[in-house]
Amino acid sequence: MRMGMLRIGITVCAAVPLGLADGFSFTLGNPVAAQDYRAKTASFVFRAEGCGEPAKAQITGTAEGLVNGIRHSVPLKISAMSQPGVYAVYQTWPAEGAWVVSLKGACGAENAGALVPTSAKGFLRDAVKFFPRPATNVEIETALKNLAQGANQ
Amino acid sequence: MAGTQAAAKGLKQNPSAAARPVTKWKKIFPYAVSMLVVRLTGRELSTQILESCRSGDRDAFRVLYEQYKDRVYSIAFYFFHGDPVSASDATQQVFLKLMTSIQQFRGEAEFSTWLYRLVVNVCVDAARSRKSEAVISDRLDAFSVPSSQEDDYQRAETARSVRMAVSPLPPKFRIAVLMRYFDDLSYEQMASALRCSMGTVASRLSRGHKMLAERLKRLKG
Amino acid sequence: MWEKHIAMHLMAYLNGELPPRKAREVESHLEVCEACRTEREKIRAGMDAIRRLPLVAAPDSIWPSIAAEFGRRQPRPAAVVHWRWVLAAAVLITLMSSTAYWWLHRPLGTEWGVVRIDGSPSIGAKPLVGAGHVRAGEWIETDAHSQALVQVGEIGSVQVAPNTRVRVVTAQQDEHRLALARGEIHASISAPPKLFFVDTASGTAVDLGCEYSLIAADDGSSLLRVIRGWVSFEWKEIDSLVPAGATCRTRPHLGPGIPYFDDASAKLKQAADAFGLEKSGDTTLNVILSASRVRDTLTLWHLLARVDPPDRNRVYDHLASVSPPPAGVTREMVLKLDAAALQRWRDDLAWKW
Repeated sequence: MRMGMLRIGITVCAAVPLGLADGFSFTLGNPVAAQDYRAKTASFVFRAEGCGEPAKAQITGTAEGLVNGIRHSVPLKISAMSQPGVYAVYQTWPAEGAWVVSLKGACGAENAGALVPTSAKGFLRDAVKFFPRPATNVEIETALKNLAQGANQ
Repeated sequence: MAGTQAAAKGLKQNPSAAARPVTKWKKIFPYAVSMLVVRLTGRELSTQILESCRSGDRDAFRVLYEQYKDRVYSIAFYFFHGDPVSASDATQQVFLKLMTSIQQFRGEAEFSTWLYRLVVNVCVDAARSRKSEAVISDRLDAFSVPSSQEDDYQRAETARSVRMAVSPLPPKFRIAVLMRYFDDLSYEQMASALRCSMGTVASRLSRGHKMLAERLKRLKG
Repeated sequence: MWEKHIAMHLMAYLNGELPPRKAREVESHLEVCEACRTEREKIRAGMDAIRRLPLVAAPDSIWPSIAAEFGRRQPRPAAVVHWRWVLAAAVLITLMSSTAYWWLHRPLGTEWGVVRIDGSPSIGAKPLVGAGHVRAGEWIETDAHSQALVQVGEIGSVQVAPNTRVRVVTAQQDEHRLALARGEIHASISAPPKLFFVDTASGTAVDLGCEYSLIAADDGSSLLRVIRGWVSFEWKEIDSLVPAGATCRTRPHLGPGIPYFDDASAKLKQAADAFGLEKSGDTTLNVILSASRVRDTLTLWHLLARVDPPDRNRVYDHLASVSPPPAGVTREMVLKLDAAALQRWRDDLAWKW
């Protein structure tokens, strides 16, 4: 029982970084979370939270990749779903190489960012990083390096 | 289940018939449909496939696409300095152009020449329209990826060096060298695709390979 | 002048493409000309180098844009002799009347295209050679060496693996239904939800827009693995939602089991598969509760409706500690299995899957 409670504690703590911060932020999810069949082919979906007027949130993003050692940046295809503030991200980057999605959001004076490492099966939840601003180039390069190294282990 | 995609498409029973309307179940559905396409054994593109393509058969065109897509993409990929986005764009353009002009073909030999003429046009036109032929910098030194498989790493390193040596070649030499390697076209086919004489083809290939060897030697130091 | 000829022929010579007589001339010259030998080595080095470039696979993302254009830009058919049009028109008029009769008296549903991928699949009892069609009521069967691809109307395709027996139940625009007796299919469907169904002996996979594989064993059990999108696996009053990256097993007379994510621990997966089979559910329930992560709330949520009331309290407590229910969803409502409350909690949990 004690181990069970400890395990619960650990899992709760692990959940904290996953976009539970106050203010404008992102929460990522499996495409089923969008409850919209248009998300079925999405790589993942996300929710922009803490924005008083979700319809006015400005959401952009790019897919940043390393393919055969060469850096690439590809515009993202982000589609709004039927629920306000919920978006689907579709894969616009090639299958080869290591790719990290960089999400950027603005809601009034507040900003939010997320770096989402991807795989063939969607996104790597445990490796997602959230920021109260768009990710910096250094953060992007670090995430790519980690992803590429992880892929070769 | 098999990993990579494979699907046979029904070939028309009577390819010599006049063009038929596309049957209902082959119409494009508004949503993207994931189709599976079978690899044809060998390199021959059957006359049935070509005939079906000429008749507007989308599934036959898919078979044709699967037959040639990797070679076309590879040529474009290395031509555009390893840029997958440019390579994808070019590949898409080639097959779209092919789609509208395929009814002019009559046989395998003429078809591949025509296809590669489209590849040359698309690649060289795109290169010409760019302001500079800047080579995308290779930042592998910043993100070197250690591998436990030494052979794989060496192969990847060698491929990377060759790619860096190919990139700065003048476009007309670059395309000739890539086309010759990836599709092993004859001089006659290359002359037709490049719209030049066979002597010019020989000259471009010789000079292109020599330049490649010299650049590679300089890269290795 | 001779050097110029040599330069022109060196590439062909190195590729072994020169006629024998010309090749001998080139060889003779190379023996006495150091400059040309140097040229030959440079070209050879370049040829060796280019061979190190691997073929790069074209990404899957290219074809859909070409396919989309295909519908817009149908190539014009080749011109035909005029008299053929006259004949075609005459044939068409003759056919129209018989087609009208057939249309009025046609059996329910249409037919789907089927293509042989490997070996000798059969439709009905007839072997399929190349391509054919399958109608509602007909069986598609593959042996150990054969595979087939079924074009499901205009909404997608189903690949039929070896040793599989599957029947087309309904082939209509508003319902596409298969019955999988045994074996494995891989469905890739792109359409609004609830147009595609696969019946098995222990449940029906209701497509909600996705790609999945479904394996049916001879004993009536099935294994559903969802690759993209999500599937609802239904049997009588039991319903399991299986999202991308998750698997669900079904058993005859028991229906769909508890779904779990493929990256869950082996202990949890084994316990989920065994849940409901043993006389006392305590052992498997304990294992599931202790081995679950945040993501495994998929499994935990499904347990709520499958356990007895005393155990439901335990499951609720565990689930709520990992992810509290949203506002408006109370413990009492959940323990009473209030459908709306459970749905709301599930929608909230899905953001952690």
